[in-house]
Amino acid sequence: MLITRFKIAEGGDVGEMKTKTVEVEINGTRYRLRVKAKTTLLELIRDQLKLTGTKRGCDTGDCGACTVIVDGKAVNACLYLAAHAHGEKVTTIEGLQGDGGSLHPLQQAFIDHYAVQCGFCTPGIILAAKAFLDENPHPTREAIRQALAGNLCRCGTHNRVLEAVWDAAGQVSQGKKGEGT
Amino acid sequence: MTIVGESLRRVDALDKVTGKTVFSVDFTLPDMLYARALRSPFPHARILHVDVERAKRVPGVRGVVKGEDVAHYGLYGMAIKDQPILAIDKVRYIGDPIVAVAAVDEEIAEEALALVRVDYEELSPVFDPLEAMRPDAVLIHENMMDYEYTPLNFPVTGTNICSHFKLRVGNVEEGFRISDEVFEDTFSTQAQQNCAMEPRMSLAMVDPSGRIAVWTSTQSVYATLRGLSDLFNTPQNKIRVVAPPLGGGFGTKMYLKAEPIAVVLAQRTGGKPVKFQWTREEEFTVPTMRHPAIIDVKTGVKRDGTLVAREIEIIWDTGAYVDNGTLVCRNGSFSAPGPYKTPHVKVDGYCVYTNKIVGGAIRGFGLPQPMFAIESQMDIIAEGLGIDPMEMRLKNAVEEGTVSASNQRIAHTALKECIVEAALASNWKDRKRGPAGDGPIARGRGMAIMHKGTLTPTCSSAFAKVNEDGTVNVMCSTASLGQGNETALGQIAAETLGVPFDWVTVVGPDTDATPFDRSTTSSRSTFHMGNAVRSAVLDAKRELLEMAAKEFEASPDDITVDQGLVFPRKRPSEGLTIKELMQKYFGGVGTVIGKGRFHTRGGKLDPDTALGDVFSAFWMFSCVVADVEIDTETGKVRVVKVVSANDVGKAINPAICEQQIEGGTLMGMGYGLLEELLFDNGKILNDSFRDYKIPTLTEAPEVVPLLIEKPNPDGPFGAKGMAEEAIVSVAPAIANAVYHATGVRVKSLPITPEKILKGLRERGKAS
Repeated sequence: MLITRFKIAEGGDVGEMKTKTVEVEINGTRYRLRVKAKTTLLELIRDQLKLTGTKRGCDTGDCGACTVIVDGKAVNACLYLAAHAHGEKVTTIEGLQGDGGSLHPLQQAFIDHYAVQCGFCTPGIILAAKAFLDENPHPTREAIRQALAGNLCRCGTHNRVLEAVWDAAGQVSQGKKGEGT
Repeated sequence: MTIVGESLRRVDALDKVTGKTVFSVDFTLPDMLYARALRSPFPHARILHVDVERAKRVPGVRGVVKGEDVAHYGLYGMAIKDQPILAIDKVRYIGDPIVAVAAVDEEIAEEALALVRVDYEELSPVFDPLEAMRPDAVLIHENMMDYEYTPLNFPVTGTNICSHFKLRVGNVEEGFRISDEVFEDTFSTQAQQNCAMEPRMSLAMVDPSGRIAVWTSTQSVYATLRGLSDLFNTPQNKIRVVAPPLGGGFGTKMYLKAEPIAVVLAQRTGGKPVKFQWTREEEFTVPTMRHPAIIDVKTGVKRDGTLVAREIEIIWDTGAYVDNGTLVCRNGSFSAPGPYKTPHVKVDGYCVYTNKIVGGAIRGFGLPQPMFAIESQMDIIAEGLGIDPMEMRLKNAVEEGTVSASNQRIAHTALKECIVEAALASNWKDRKRGPAGDGPIARGRGMAIMHKGTLTPTCSSAFAKVNEDGTVNVMCSTASLGQGNETALGQIAAETLGVPFDWVTVVGPDTDATPFDRSTTSSRSTFHMGNAVRSAVLDAKRELLEMAAKEFEASPDDITVDQGLVFPRKRPSEGLTIKELMQKYFGGVGTVIGKGRFHTRGGKLDPDTALGDVFSAFWMFSCVVADVEIDTETGKVRVVKVVSANDVGKAINPAICEQQIEGGTLMGMGYGLLEELLFDNGKILNDSFRDYKIPTLTEAPEVVPLLIEKPNPDGPFGAKGMAEEAIVSVAPAIANAVYHATGVRVKSLPITPEKILKGLRERGKAS
């Protein structure tokens, strides 16, 4: 699917705006989009593509609610220019489920461990955890704590998040072993 | 019971882990415009002139409004009407809104605001509440006595004191006279910000007919409805308020906040909806903070530790407007003497205007401040008398049937059970103070207890709509803040009717569809709405049983409903499904609805003594024991473990209760150690998560939540509210643990490394 969208502010002069064409793969779908030079990846995802699972919590990269995965790394989408995502593969929370909508082990673990309260920070935490586990399939609990320290949660789900990620880590690494044999 | 009491999976979790939940900020409407507000850079200034002409001419701008355009609507405010929609004659804090703009995007709205010209005459500001209380202080609200206010406020003429609350029990002078020892201490607490992860949002639309619709991040659609109806002089049937799921509330998403500005802009856009979403900076600087407080406590005791008299004075710094700050003062001051028996009590609470951000409701509603003072002092007294801090508390704690220090007869409490269980789980009797090994680490263990009432009187109502197939929609206005209401209220409904849990859906707040509820605050929903839902479902069930009685030629009392089957108790094989029963009764399609209401009575207190009536429909109690490790070289405190025993009556869903306890513990730890809004001439210096630290996964201690179950006869299935309990005792338990470890008594929050090092230095000098 190819979408070309460009929202022109009424009365604005297109000629004056510095725009760029970005080709990016988001959740397995390729897009070609016109964006302003200063458009962030968060604005592209939320406002242009309407993928509202990625949250806007602070706009300054301090809360982690907008965490998405770019090229295997967790990034704060509010600080990441959309233009920089050119040629990259991006995963948002909407792209985490498997075929037929099966939940990712992290998603299931967050449900099973009651690691969700208001849920506003949840997508960002799950994606930060996924990027971390992909790189570190056998983490220590302390490593999980450090990896998720940038994802704020005010409801206080911290310890349950730790248990959920720990649990999912076991499943994910087992799953990978399974794939190898 | 098979459903109530089970840790069923949260029904909201699947949508949340897949990113499908449409939160308030995710809500959009076609053609909507975006709003921004110009806010005052001065803490106190007269507005001489506002020029918006250039802003209006910016292409893409669809509406510009300034104070005088909407001055005819007058002032609003839940407790005292002291706040204009946009500043008219003067601004009273840095952040006071002056002009608002609606445009096709936020950037254009910002551009337009940059072209607004405001001429100010700066006035001398007052930031210190003690200074603001002086008779010669600059007045922040010169016409305070002309404002409309509710009878729960006691403003003092010619001052900045917007309420002086008084509690008088017994004879405090006599109490001190007969005491063996008297202890006097002063404590202070800081401004804490709520920091809900979702910034607030209000999206307003005004029909050509004038009907107003608002989708908004509020904890009470009905408080918003009443507020807007009052402010815009519009009947309540001409206003619709909807609250989508909120990314946290914690008390501050209440009463009118972003709504009035969204509405006055929407009145000027030819029917186009206007979305006003706050930035994180606005979240830090504009809405309600937890009141900073100064607390003087004087306590008289017998040599055996029996409390005899307490005199407490609390200064509540409520900032530039009241919001519901005077109610925080009332609630916190009333409950300040703590969950103890004390025959002679005098409390004075002064709620004081300053030129700062507005103080208001945040989890705990006025209890974390005085309980920090009282519980710190309980340890000071215990040490002074040579009594174990736990024994000191057990000796004086309220019991069922006794009268508390606030002169309330306690009908239900498991406080002593909480103390005993927390002591057991934390191995209290073996607590060891002092250094851990040869290094600089010192270990300590501290305890604190609390009580808190729920706002009384209040009312909640619910509908139970039985669908054709026997499934049920419960319609109620409890807001979804993350507290698990959909699950817990669903469990109450399913258990009451006798259907499987997944047959019930709880429908969220929309004043066009869901009936009245006071608010999702004050730890009141499980108790009040739980009772209302139970009563609505019983109403529907009564009709079903009557239908079945006819069908089975039996008495309704002999019919039962189980797993969705309706049958005479003695003839279960003849059972019909609810669907079949209704089809037979109606001879076709038809359904049943039930209605339920629950309301509490009380709250009529004498204005001079606060005596004479029930203050709260139930009291919450808990006990916290905190284990800390302190690096005596850096002053850094690490909270290792928190045991939190909570009186829950009956846990409708134990796992969700534990989540509340863990959440309160983390927020309480932030209050105790990390969090503080820092001011410089009224300007908040740390207005981002970079500079204002809340606890993260690296600091999260082990939390041991204990649910102490002792059925509360007034609650649904024995439940009582418990959401706010857990935060209150954490900071004082940490303070007591820090003292236990180091001998340093920190009397001001937060307990920073600097304060501990200063205390250690002073102790070093003394020894």
